[in-house]
Amino acid sequence: MIRLSGRGRSALIIGFQGIRARKTRTLLSMISLFLGVLAVVIVQAGASIAEKATMGDIELQMGLDGTKQLSVPAGERSTRIVLDAVTGRPDAVAMLNTRAIVGEPGVRPVNEGGGPIGEDWGVPMECDDQGNCTEITTGGPKGQAIEMQVVALTGDVRKFRPYRQSSGEWLDFTTVPMMAPRLVLNKYAAEAFEQYRVPAEMRIKGASANLTPQFVGVVDDGGYMPTAYVRLDELSTWLGTASLSDPNSGELQVLLAGTTPVEQVLTSKLKAIGQDAYVDEIKNREDMAEQLQLMRLVFLSMAGLVLLIGVAGILNVGLATVGERVEEFALRRAVGTPRSLLAGIVLAETLITGLLTSAIAIGVSAAALKAVVTVLGPSEPLLRGVEFPVDAGVAGIVAGLIAGVLGGIIPAIRAAGIPIATVMRA
Amino acid sequence: MTSPIIELQGITKVLKGQKEPRTILDGVDLRVHAGESLAIVGRSGSGKSTLLSVLGLFDRADQGSYALAGRDISRLPEGKAAKLRSSHYGFVFQRFFLLKHLTAAQNVAMALVNGQGWLPRRERRARVMQALEQVEIAHLAKNRPSRMSGGEQQRVAIARALVREPQILLADEPTGALDTETGTLVIDALLAATTRGCSLILVTHDLAHAGRMGRIAHLDKGVLTERVNA
Ligand SMILES: Nc1ncnc2c1ncn2[C@@H]1O[C@H](COP(=O)(O)OP(=O)(O)O)[C@@H](O)[C@H]1O
Ligand SMILES: [Mg+2]
Repeated sequence: MIRLSGRGRSALIIGFQGIRARKTRTLLSMISLFLGVLAVVIVQAGASIAEKATMGDIELQMGLDGTKQLSVPAGERSTRIVLDAVTGRPDAVAMLNTRAIVGEPGVRPVNEGGGPIGEDWGVPMECDDQGNCTEITTGGPKGQAIEMQVVALTGDVRKFRPYRQSSGEWLDFTTVPMMAPRLVLNKYAAEAFEQYRVPAEMRIKGASANLTPQFVGVVDDGGYMPTAYVRLDELSTWLGTASLSDPNSGELQVLLAGTTPVEQVLTSKLKAIGQDAYVDEIKNREDMAEQLQLMRLVFLSMAGLVLLIGVAGILNVGLATVGERVEEFALRRAVGTPRSLLAGIVLAETLITGLLTSAIAIGVSAAALKAVVTVLGPSEPLLRGVEFPVDAGVAGIVAGLIAGVLGGIIPAIRAAGIPIATVMRA
Repeated sequence: MTSPIIELQGITKVLKGQKEPRTILDGVDLRVHAGESLAIVGRSGSGKSTLLSVLGLFDRADQGSYALAGRDISRLPEGKAAKLRSSHYGFVFQRFFLLKHLTAAQNVAMALVNGQGWLPRRERRARVMQALEQVEIAHLAKNRPSRMSGGEQQRVAIARALVREPQILLADEPTGALDTETGTLVIDALLAATTRGCSLILVTHDLAHAGRMGRIAHLDKGVLTERVNA
């Protein structure tokens, strides 16, 4: 229980009486303020949701700030150099990308091309050195198979890209490599398997045989393509490094800790074979945070303007009410009510109005968000699991408080200044 | 003899008007003892209300001294004056100034609000009912002013003035808006308070009402003169 001092309590009780006596007027002043608080709440909620969505995923997709990323044009020699420099090191991880079809032998995958399940990305192309491209078709009827990207890792990539574990386990790089490669799927690959219940056999172009993978876990990697992660040493048993470095099937990426000698070694060795390697330092979060902050500021100041109109509404009603209640306030002073309590009564009324309005605005926007998420959530992955952010609620309450104080302070000062003798001249 | 509850000496009030200053009260001397009743009569504009607002600590005199029960209160800061108004004074005006959104009982309870907040509910209710009984309208406690006659409303206002058991009751033409008969009832209610030791200062135009007071003083152009009744 909040313990109110005698004066604060009196102000609140009398304030409530005043509001009850002027319901229509209070309601009218609430309407304009409602829009203002609603604007603040929506902007804050939108910014928070956008920030959470983009900032969370960007670290998964690109890497933590400070990570260095080296993209190497694929090729047998460059791949060799990279693997020699990186293997066994904790401060550098190479990622080799290739494609695989997992499922029934001899059928075309449901998502030919490896795009998201349920979206047609067209038939993939393969190009030779002369730039002649042909469509890659696996032939056979479309059916129980899923095409996906396979990322072969030389080490634990999660110190650079903190994939969120959804279920099962992540790859264990400390054990002896197994014959049947262990795979960790991302959510989209996992969903596809759930949806199509394909038998697990993995076809990779260039592999000596079709392999039977073991699925050990599911992670959220922030991406939208079905993807599987695998230990390079478990995959290379079946697949020569040569086909892993096929320029058609992929590229080679190395993620490096901020300060590692590997960077030096790699760039000079690649230079020696005539390959220019570019090192990018990731600072997405910083850049994005700056942009988001700016956007939030712009929108908040617009919302602030709308709020100002609401404040003007409260102020207007407050002044009119005080003007109308000159006699009441003079009488209250005559019977010994101190000026500070009179000011408190007026402020209490505008504060109650402000807080009530913000409570309604917060409730309305939270309900609206919930409705949008329930209706659009299933088709819009960005909206999935979105909840009303706490800071939007806080912003709304603060807006209501500010409006109550700003709109109430001038009427309060006026009320406190009414001369008592008014009661004798009326 | 005990010291008077009210003692004014040389009270002067000057209004600084647009052109030359006007003296509204001109050296008023006045002593009132506990339980006494005093009528102040005089023409409109003679300064009666101004004198009452000095007496009620609504306003300060420009010159002169004001002692309450022997204590000088001429230069009291507003916060202390508010406390005194609440603890020692009761006020009744020509208009009733009842808050129309409150019941009779709530209007009376309003005077119990001071800087310290409210009394406990039970005590508050007992005091309010007692005050309403003193003016014989306890049965109207739950009514709103709009459903009461003028006389009843003025009696609610008197109950509001009495609820703190003041030592001084100041009434500025309390019967001005009422018919003679109703006015008489209102004066009865005010006089009843003096039997409990409360002093009454009544501003009135009605000589019949003035005649019921223990003393009558005349205010003319800011000068107060008392006729000792034969
Ligand atoms: N606030 C004020 N502004 C201007 N004149 C005032 C004010 N208060 C009182 N007066 C003047 O002071 C004189 C006395 O007024 P008042 O005390 O109300 O007289 P009464 O109550 O005897 O009719 C009047 O002439 C009135 O016009
Ligand atoms: Mg008058």
